[in-house]
Order: sequence, then structure tokens, then C-alpha cells
Amino acid sequence: MDQLKQELKEALIQALNLEDITAEEIVDEEPLFGDGLGLDSIDALEIILILERNYGIRLTKPEEAKEIFYSIDTLADFIGKNRKK
Amino acid sequence: MNVYPVYIQSLASIYPQGEPSEGRFSACEPDYKEWIKDAGLRRRMSRIVKMGVTAGLQCLQNIPVKPEAIITATGLGCLADTEKFLQSIGSQNEELLSPTPFIQSTFNTIGAQIALLSGNKAYNSTYVHRAFSFESALLDGMMRLQAGDAGSVLVGAVDELTPTVFHILERMGAWRKFPAGEGASFFLLGNKKTMQTVARLVAVDMQSGNFSQEQLTQKQSDLLQRNGVSDARIVSEEMFKPICGEYQTASSFGLWYACTQLSGNGFVLITNSWLNNYTAVLIEKFTKE
Repeated sequence: MDQLKQELKEALIQALNLEDITAEEIVDEEPLFGDGLGLDSIDALEIILILERNYGIRLTKPEEAKEIFYSIDTLADFIGKNRKK
Repeated sequence: MNVYPVYIQSLASIYPQGEPSEGRFSACEPDYKEWIKDAGLRRRMSRIVKMGVTAGLQCLQNIPVKPEAIITATGLGCLADTEKFLQSIGSQNEELLSPTPFIQSTFNTIGAQIALLSGNKAYNSTYVHRAFSFESALLDGMMRLQAGDAGSVLVGAVDELTPTVFHILERMGAWRKFPAGEGASFFLLGNKKTMQTVARLVAVDMQSGNFSQEQLTQKQSDLLQRNGVSDARIVSEEMFKPICGEYQTASSFGLWYACTQLSGNGFVLITNSWLNNYTAVLIEKFTKE
């Protein structure tokens, strides 16, 4: 799971072009949107693409996205349970 | 109808400051964090967007007026993001395309970002007319001011060089006369002369065709005559392109060069060419009071 979280942080930094932020600085349990990392709706689209491209996961219930995308912890947990690659 | 004069009140340019490397110039870029403070906004901007937005904001720095129009120009637009988007269409079989390069690859991104950052909701337009892009934007700004539709207008041009375009245009012989270049130059135009006024914008001319040198010289003389000017110094592309390099909106740097690097006052004609397209901008330069 730790390796998955590290991989996920690196993918987010690259896809979202997070300047001056290292994987170590992203706290696993902190919110990704709003107060935490400050991501927005366009970033959510980029995360959906990361899930589909890297792990073969297609989100079928958009209403669950808020919970799944809350933090690195919740995202890694969801990927761990649903990944196809 | 009352025709108001048009003055250049302020100007800024981001341009190459050094020798070309392997036949191409690279713009000397400032620390963008100083100009675009919001990291969230900055991280979505590609190089050309940051370059154009910063040059625009530098031009508006310490200026008390809010422009009543923002008019930008680009020959080829946001190339890096366009290439990224097009390449992903091919490599990913037209599926799962990232939205950011698409959003940022549109030509009017720079004008829109300047408007958002400066809280400006006025007329906003972008001209993409190859080698006539900057002159078209300049003409639009001039006409708005001359007609009294606006009191101040921000006009600028920006183009970036990417390895792909460098190689494609190299095969077409675009860099035979000058090394490839890039840059962003912005001008705040107004219809009132102030202590900060740099020059008066007199005329803009665009010609397309296979002209001989004699025909071009005649056209320049005609332009001066039409505007009642008997004598003007010429700032040709041979003077400014060894600094900024060749690109479709290089004449914007030529105007910046004539306004800032030329000593003395009087009429100056800035001439430029790209393939069979020829442009000329006539200004009356002032010595600051």
C-alpha cells in the first residue's frame, strides 16, 4: 500500500504540474481538494484519467467521487480494492 | 468625425538576451512567481502563457488606468500545449485525453488570463493572422482609440518556439535569413499625451505579394507621404532580428526596439517581412520630458 501511495503522489505531481511540491510533502490523510492541496474540478478530471489509464478503473458512480478523492489514503484504498492493472 | 491621436504610454518585452544556440534563440524569462503569484493558476500555464501574461502585466505595472480593451496577437499560438494535445490524441487512440493541454492550447488564453488577473471585463480579442497578427491587433487598438471608443488599450503579441516547429519550419527555409526566435511584447496605447508617453503611433501598413526591393521602397515612401512625413529613420528587420530572432510576430519586438533602444526623437518607420508578407509601423518618437 505504501508503494501505491508513493506511485499515486508522483502521478499527481506530474499530471497536475504541482510546482515546488515533493511526494514527501503530500500528507496521506490530508484533503486533496479545498483546504489541503487546493485541487479543483479540472484536477478531478485529471485524477479520473489517472485511475483509468494507470489502474484500469472506470468510475461508474460519480456521487461516490467526493469520498474516494478525499485524500491519498482514500484514493489508494479505492484503487487497491478495484484495480484491474 | 473627430480622430483622436494614439500614443504609446508604456511597453514591456520578454525577448532573447544572448547568442542563439544551434540556430535558435530562447527568450530570457523572468521569475514568473513574482508576476503570477497564484501557484494554482501558474501550474496550469504553459511557457508561452506565462511569457505573454507576464509581459502584459509588466506593461500595466504602475499604470493608474484600466485598459478598455485587451487585444493580443500570435502567429502560431500555444504550440507546446497544442503539440502535447495532438500527440496524446494519436498515442491514446483519441481516448482519455487530458483536459489541461486542450484548455491551454487555445489562442485566446493569454488575453483571457491577463483579463482575469487584472480584473478586466472589457473588450478582449486575439488576432491569429500569421505575419499580420501583431499589425492586425495594433490596427484594431488604433481604430478604437482614434474613434474614441476607448481611452486606453493594451496590445501585445507573443510566440513561442518548440523543437517540433523549429524543425518543420527549418525544412521550409524559414530560418535562412535569421535564427529562429520567440518573445512577447506588449504596449499600452492611449489617446492622451502624458509625461510617460514614449511615442505617437502614426500608421500601420500590411502588404502581401512578391515585391521587388524597389517596389517595397516605393511603398514605404508612399506610406510616409500619405501621413505627411517627409523623412523617417528606418528600423529594418536587419536591426532587430539579430536580437530577437525570426518569428511571425517579431515586428512587435521591432516596435519595442525602436521605442526603447533608438536614441533621439522624430519619425521612425519599423519594417518587417515574413515570406511574402511585408509590414510597416510608423511612429513619432518623443524624448521623455
